[in-house]
Amino acid sequence: MTEFRVLNSRAPRVDAAGKATGRAKYADDLTMPGMLYGAILQSPIAHGKILNIDTSKAKKLRGVKAVVTAKEAGLVKYGVSPARYDETLFAHDKVRYVGDEIAAVAAVDLETAQEAVQLIKVDFEELPAVFDMFEAMKEGAPQLHDEYPNNITAEVHQEFGDTEAAFAECDFVMDHTFLNKRQDAAFIEPHACIAVFDLDGKLTLHTATQVPHYVMRTVAMVLGIPVGNVRVVKPYVGGGFGPKAEATPLEMGAALLSRQTLKPVKMVYSREQVFLHSRARHQFYAEMSLGMKNDGTMVALKNKAVLDGGAYTSFGIATVYYSGSLLGGPYKLKAMKYDGYRIYTNKPACGAQRGHGGVAHRAAFEQLLDKTAVKLGMDPIELRLKNIMTTGDVTINELDMSSLGMKECIEAVRNGSDWNNKKGKLPKGKGIGMACGFFVSGAGYPIYRSDTYHSTVVIKMSEDGGIVNVLTGSAEIGQGSDTVVAMIAAETLGVPLECVRVTSGDTDLSMDLGAYSSRQTLMTGHATKEAAEQVKKQIVDVLAHEMNCHPSSIEFRNGKVLFDGGPGDFRHIRTNYVKEHRGWTDPPTDDYLTFKEAARIAYLKLGTLVGTGKYKPPRLGGAYKGAAVGTSPAYGCSAQVVEVTVDMETGQVTVDDMTDAHDCGLAINRTSVEGQMQGSLSMGLGETLFEEVKFDSRGRILNPNLGEYRIPTALDMPNVNCIIVESNEPNGPYGAKEVGEGAIMPTIPAILNAIYDATGVRINELPVTSERLFMALKKKEGV
Amino acid sequence: MLLPKFEYHEPSTLQEALKLLSDLGGNAKLLAGGTDLLVRMKRKIDKPSHVISLARIPGLDEIVPRNGHSVTIGSAVSAAKLAGHELLSDRFTPLAMAAGRLGAPMIRNRATIGGNLVNARPAADLPPACMVLDATLKLKSASREREVLVNEFFRGPGETIIEQDELLVSIDINTPAPWSGGSYIKLGARKTLEISMVNVAVMLTLQSPDGSITDAKIALGAVAPTPVRALLAEKQLIGATPSEALFEKAGQVGVGTCSPITDHRGTMEYRCMMIEVLTKRCLMQAFERAKSWRPGR
Ligand SMILES: Cc1cc2nc3c(=O)[nH]c(=O)nc-3n(C[C@H](O)[C@H](O)[C@H](O)COP(=O)(O)OP(=O)(O)OC[C@H]3O[C@@H](n4cnc5c(N)ncnc54)[C@H](O)[C@@H]3O)c2cc1C
Repeated sequence: MTEFRVLNSRAPRVDAAGKATGRAKYADDLTMPGMLYGAILQSPIAHGKILNIDTSKAKKLRGVKAVVTAKEAGLVKYGVSPARYDETLFAHDKVRYVGDEIAAVAAVDLETAQEAVQLIKVDFEELPAVFDMFEAMKEGAPQLHDEYPNNITAEVHQEFGDTEAAFAECDFVMDHTFLNKRQDAAFIEPHACIAVFDLDGKLTLHTATQVPHYVMRTVAMVLGIPVGNVRVVKPYVGGGFGPKAEATPLEMGAALLSRQTLKPVKMVYSREQVFLHSRARHQFYAEMSLGMKNDGTMVALKNKAVLDGGAYTSFGIATVYYSGSLLGGPYKLKAMKYDGYRIYTNKPACGAQRGHGGVAHRAAFEQLLDKTAVKLGMDPIELRLKNIMTTGDVTINELDMSSLGMKECIEAVRNGSDWNNKKGKLPKGKGIGMACGFFVSGAGYPIYRSDTYHSTVVIKMSEDGGIVNVLTGSAEIGQGSDTVVAMIAAETLGVPLECVRVTSGDTDLSMDLGAYSSRQTLMTGHATKEAAEQVKKQIVDVLAHEMNCHPSSIEFRNGKVLFDGGPGDFRHIRTNYVKEHRGWTDPPTDDYLTFKEAARIAYLKLGTLVGTGKYKPPRLGGAYKGAAVGTSPAYGCSAQVVEVTVDMETGQVTVDDMTDAHDCGLAINRTSVEGQMQGSLSMGLGETLFEEVKFDSRGRILNPNLGEYRIPTALDMPNVNCIIVESNEPNGPYGAKEVGEGAIMPTIPAILNAIYDATGVRINELPVTSERLFMALKKKEGV
Repeated sequence: MLLPKFEYHEPSTLQEALKLLSDLGGNAKLLAGGTDLLVRMKRKIDKPSHVISLARIPGLDEIVPRNGHSVTIGSAVSAAKLAGHELLSDRFTPLAMAAGRLGAPMIRNRATIGGNLVNARPAADLPPACMVLDATLKLKSASREREVLVNEFFRGPGETIIEQDELLVSIDINTPAPWSGGSYIKLGARKTLEISMVNVAVMLTLQSPDGSITDAKIALGAVAPTPVRALLAEKQLIGATPSEALFEKAGQVGVGTCSPITDHRGTMEYRCMMIEVLTKRCLMQAFERAKSWRPGR
């Protein structure tokens, strides 16, 4: 294995000091002279025609500087996927959920803005609404969008291999259904932004986003500004998990209000508005049948999905494709059939959330495998190992597992959890369960069709040679991407991490699609590596010329320059450098020529040293409809074992232990990888046991706050035994691939399988509240 | 969410506070930890034009033992202080335990016992504990003073007998008899930061470590518009010999006292079944503590 100087370590995050001391600036920390505050008017009803909007009273309120509705905003349709642009900035003909945006106000302070919003009078003609996805599919149900009849946003029908024939050769078929609940991502920082229009008509938008690039494009399109005149700058972001991966009415509203007033406008969502905006995990209904041989060979899978998408599409098309495509692995199948429906209902729109589209169906499938193992009398781990894919396998839907440490992960958790001594040997009320999963390391294609690079990076050396400035549009949202980028640059250039300074999240710096689909380590990583190699080459060439040696004899290591592995005779270079730098406080004394001296010498020759790197995946995937969704240059995978205690008298579940193994190719930063593993597991635990966005009969959210929308606390979350598996991905920079989302895939089913092991009851609806489990236990006793 | 505008007062004596309260009539609210009041003000449920802080009034945040036979707890004592207090844990166990389950550490640092009682949520943690300890509440206004039993204090969700011009000064509790023990159990979804789906407080007194039950008190929360004493269940216990079967029976009888609702936190059916189970458990725990009672240090 390659020996790394910076990579694969536990280097502290580059933003640690700023965040630990509270100096790091988030969007809501920013203020600007003359700044106005914005507020949004949202629909109080779930479905209705807008008859009239009267803003006159609001406009008259002292301190109000602008009031905007669809009249000012225009009716440009936008969304995430160009195939389904179904939103306008403000509702004009009708509102489709409680929370639909109708108008916005800018005023001298927030109190005034909020008061003004209350003064806007909207006359509605209330329409019948539909809140349940199955109801919405029925004949005669209230229709949300005329363009998309029967409330179907998108439907997918795919078949790989001959499913009928494959089922015919099976010894038996196992069926399973599963229902999860609508999630909220519950990131700590609500969306916030400040928009500033300068006098030349150029917009700078500071916003808490995962995707500066897409926000730039959407805001430009909706407000009719040339894309080049929009700059999106992302300050530090307090988590995203998906819902911040698209442009929001907040951002567009602030930009519009700033254009109207020519003042900076700040807008922040309250926690309740975060729930109303949503764009988090869909509700999924899964129905599947698995055809098996008696010897434990998996043969064919039939999979059906119904997704409750809320009032607009958001990421929904990709979501409904993912629910099918992400079951292509990590087990070998002869045939697979998928039918998916994504349905509109009068609720906030759902979008992408960690493990996009795959989580619920993975949970269903891994539960189905557990059921199958019981029927076969086989250890669930053996069943999985028997069917597992390995490096080089291609799934039946043409996803290429260019590296896959799935088997290693399973073996690691089997040993790490002491599975063999526990499975089948625990007392009643205690259980152990396991599951697997895999996920993309970056989507193979951008959201809009284009040949664009997915990532470019610029590295610019400081003129003194001491600092490597990495400039990137990629989005640090708390996941640690700035640290990854810095470490890759440092490793590639052979300098200590302290010499690297990362500036990120700014569309003016470079092209980057942003933080979604677990793409930045691989894609921004590649571009960073290439940019660093370019800079390195420039310095090496100058040195080779100065030293009259071959470039291949020069190496940079820990900020020193080695010639043929030794210090070499570099006196003339140093003399030159010292002459150059009379008065500088740091005359070099090192036994070796330093990287800084070398970079300075190269600068004197070439001017400012700049390297640029770029990355886009090669053409990936099959030729069938929807083949793009699920493709990726690489796939991360993981296996988990969970141990639970069930209080048989109350139904309460305590997760006692979690063992997680994840194949991330190469762990750029081991601590960060473990952080992603732990975070994923905690999120999955919450989704399994507690989380559900609940509505009343009129479509109003009952629990739009973190008191009653329960995410796990430190006391609910056990310690995690994290095992990092490194398969060395050929398509990843230094062999690296994802960990951010794949790690959540096995969590839900592993907990559910453990609950089954503890109780003999299989729960197929989330969340597993104490009541749900208790009632199921009672029912079982009854029979 | 923003706080509405209000005038803020910080009296430094009880008299001053009581005068303000009577002068300002219905326009004022007392502020203790603020963990209920400020939330309600932000949500525009409470709109006082004056807020009177208790922070500078001396003595309100003290726990004063009275020669072993009772304890006086100032109304502004925090849940954290209650939970960590050795005497309370030892002799007034349900209260210390309930305080330890209230909210999470940050909330416990601010939340006060007075605020918890006056706020009178059916699911609150401290009322059932105070009820099984037979606490007496001292209420004072500029012109009068009275003592009421906590059992007579609650009227309905958010409603108590306290008058607009009255301030809850302290909570007085007599030390339970020898061979007493108590416990508290709260059922919520998470291990912390939870609103009770059901909660149970219990005090048991035994004749001797292996004797019969001479006194029993059971209070249930989140099962009716106010926390309730399960008097019939208590009757079953008094005079009887403790056993798991007896405690189970008491749980079954206890359910009769309750009229829980179905809401998004849980159904009536489940709550009823949990009252049974948790009452039994809580009695078992109280019994274990009563058996191991030790004379005071
Ligand atoms: C995140 C969170 C979690 C919570 N978790 C729990 C929980 O698990 N269990 C639980 O029971 N509660 C919980 N609560 C509610 C709250 O914390 C408690 O009710 C707390 O005890 C209230 O005390 P306080 O001092 O903050 O009251 P305040 O908010 O200051 O006052 C509450 C009310 O009582 C009045 N008041 C206060 N002191 C006096 C007095 N001396 N005389 C007369 N009137 C007075 C006030 O005017 C106000 O109307 C939670 C609250 C939050 C925000």
